[in-house]
Amino acid sequence: MNNKKVFILSGLLPALALILAFTYYPFLKGIIMAFQDYKLFDLRNVHFVGLDNFKAAFKDPKFFTALKNSGYWVFCSLILQFVFGLALALLLRKPFRGRGIFQGFAFYSWALSGFLIGMIWKWMFNSQIGVINDLLLRLHIIDERIGFLSNPKWAMMSVIIANVWYGIAFFAIMLLAALQSVPADLYEAADMDGATGIRKLWNVTLPYILPTIIATTLLRAIWIFNDPSLIYGLTNGGPAGSTHILSSLMLDKIIYAGDYGAASAIGVIMIALLLLYTIFFLTVTKAEKVGDF
Amino acid sequence: MTTRNKVSALVLCGALTAGLLAGCGSKNDSTNEGNGGGQVTLRMIESLTSPARTELLKASIEKFETANPNIKVDLISPPFDQADNKIRTMLGAKEDLDVIEARDLNVSEYVNNGFIDPLNTFADSWSDYASVSAIAKSLGSVGDKLYFVPNGLYERQLFYRADWFKELGLTPPKTWEELYETGKKLTDPSKNRFGFSFRGASGSNGTTDAITLAYNGDNVNLEDSMFTKDGKSIYSTPEGKQAMELYLKLYKDTSPPDSVNWGFQEQVQAFTSGVTGMLLQDPDVIQSLTEKMAEGTWATAPLQAGPGGKALLAAGGAGWAIPSDSKHKEEAWKLISFLSSPAENTEFSKKFGLIPIHTSATEDEFFKSGPYKTLLDMSNDSAHFVNFKPPFQYPGNGQWGQLVQDSGQSLLLGQTSLDDTLKKWADFWDKQKAELKK
Repeated sequence: MNNKKVFILSGLLPALALILAFTYYPFLKGIIMAFQDYKLFDLRNVHFVGLDNFKAAFKDPKFFTALKNSGYWVFCSLILQFVFGLALALLLRKPFRGRGIFQGFAFYSWALSGFLIGMIWKWMFNSQIGVINDLLLRLHIIDERIGFLSNPKWAMMSVIIANVWYGIAFFAIMLLAALQSVPADLYEAADMDGATGIRKLWNVTLPYILPTIIATTLLRAIWIFNDPSLIYGLTNGGPAGSTHILSSLMLDKIIYAGDYGAASAIGVIMIALLLLYTIFFLTVTKAEKVGDF
Repeated sequence: MTTRNKVSALVLCGALTAGLLAGCGSKNDSTNEGNGGGQVTLRMIESLTSPARTELLKASIEKFETANPNIKVDLISPPFDQADNKIRTMLGAKEDLDVIEARDLNVSEYVNNGFIDPLNTFADSWSDYASVSAIAKSLGSVGDKLYFVPNGLYERQLFYRADWFKELGLTPPKTWEELYETGKKLTDPSKNRFGFSFRGASGSNGTTDAITLAYNGDNVNLEDSMFTKDGKSIYSTPEGKQAMELYLKLYKDTSPPDSVNWGFQEQVQAFTSGVTGMLLQDPDVIQSLTEKMAEGTWATAPLQAGPGGKALLAAGGAGWAIPSDSKHKEEAWKLISFLSSPAENTEFSKKFGLIPIHTSATEDEFFKSGPYKTLLDMSNDSAHFVNFKPPFQYPGNGQWGQLVQDSGQSLLLGQTSLDDTLKKWADFWDKQKAELKK
């Protein structure tokens, strides 16, 4: 090895050490714990139990509810966040008076923490003292109060609404940045060819920002899948476990049972699912375009 | 790049990393041995942290330090949500800790892991120990050994809307059956008014346990309270079923439908905002009720009894314990006995809204009036308010809350039958007992 390589390597070493210590060590430790009986109540008796934690997870009907909910939660949240985010970005693309202020208001939800958003929406959805029921009653849209978070029929939809509200800003910010990079001469050329607004959107704008769309939806789907904070703040997985997703169920195992083994097993299953998802997504969207923006 | 430049770049790189790590870490100058002159620094960590409480603690500690110039106390106050995890991690890593705040719900975990020492030898030679109430001693004990000295007690009682009761000519309910009847009279959904502040989400087992214990009454094994005297689960008896039938009616006829997914905040908020007329809670809500509600609109009454005329009552709380690895146990005990002295503890309880641990404190005028009076009335009437030991010794106790929330909600929503639910709950405890015996 020549001097230059040694220098580069030793310059990288501290950063590498940090990444190894704080990202890969916990990751490996988590995988190991998934195969252990690791309970807070009995830390002196941690031992390997093979696949027991996984078997227990697959035997639990709550796991399958959470699995189904996770799919539903990611799919609905992602599509709605993307559609509304794109619409918002398109509206904000052209300059108008007060655009900066308007942007600030439109994007502020992204700056809040998931737990806080959970708290805000929990009170808004409350059927007795919540503002949503109150408005609907006053507008005579409903006659009886709706238990948004207490009726299993409504609960999942309610948490998704809160999540959509939260995530629109992310897509709007990212897509707006991409939209502003579309060269104006492309539109001029399209105008000369007599293209209409919709046509321009479909044939010029969307293809141009496609790499951004792919990267953001990929990332966002993983975040939505992994983030339990909103569900935790809003419903705590209830009523009767009907709004648990995998990540909130995992948290549940730690908070209530102190069972790190069971929680880690769910974590490992989540990693496997995400890996499959990423491979699938990158294959169908032709990965080489993704890094282009 | 010259060699000199390279070296300085590398040094800078290393220094930045070290600086980053040092900046992220917490201050840890564990010079516990002090500076030669017999000076000892005690490291103490609290669990039920809140800004107001930390202030009170600090004031007490200052007094202690003035009285004991050779002992310095370093108080660590992690945020409440993470405190127990932090304490557990620090104990597991054998970090220097001399006094920790253990809680009723995790003390047996600490004992089981060998993290804390019994305090009996210290307590036996402590002059103030005689006036510590039996209920406080029982709270801090696992088996027959004392592991922490409680810093105050929480006890459940009924808070009710005195103005609504007056309007309708009602008196506070003495039994669960009366609670239901009264609740029905207060309920008028068209006015968005309900009798009872029900809690179906996290913490719902507080209500199911209380009502089922009261119905099983004299038959409950007070030392192992999830079981009757002949070793059956309290949820498996005919009385237990009766209790849970009433629990269901309490939800259906006297509570907002939304309350199936209510936890602590919603339950209290519904009461303070005038949606519900009765609330079962601990004294720590007194402060927020006083702040949010007009004087005279609310009052308190003792916990409800079962058909046998008895209510089963447990005190909850946290207190000071000494880690097994502490190197300054004598000094740690000095601090604990100071904080737990009648003068300090009574003052602390008054300011924070707890029941003091010394029986002598009941002489204080403060506890003879207002919302605390009913709590003391209950303590003084042991014929009707029987003290039991909550099942904190079971490793699965944390899961119990979760099980009652999940299966209790599906019971309330009509997804499962009462018989199936009761069987599930009884099975849970039978299994816990079998595992504990192993």
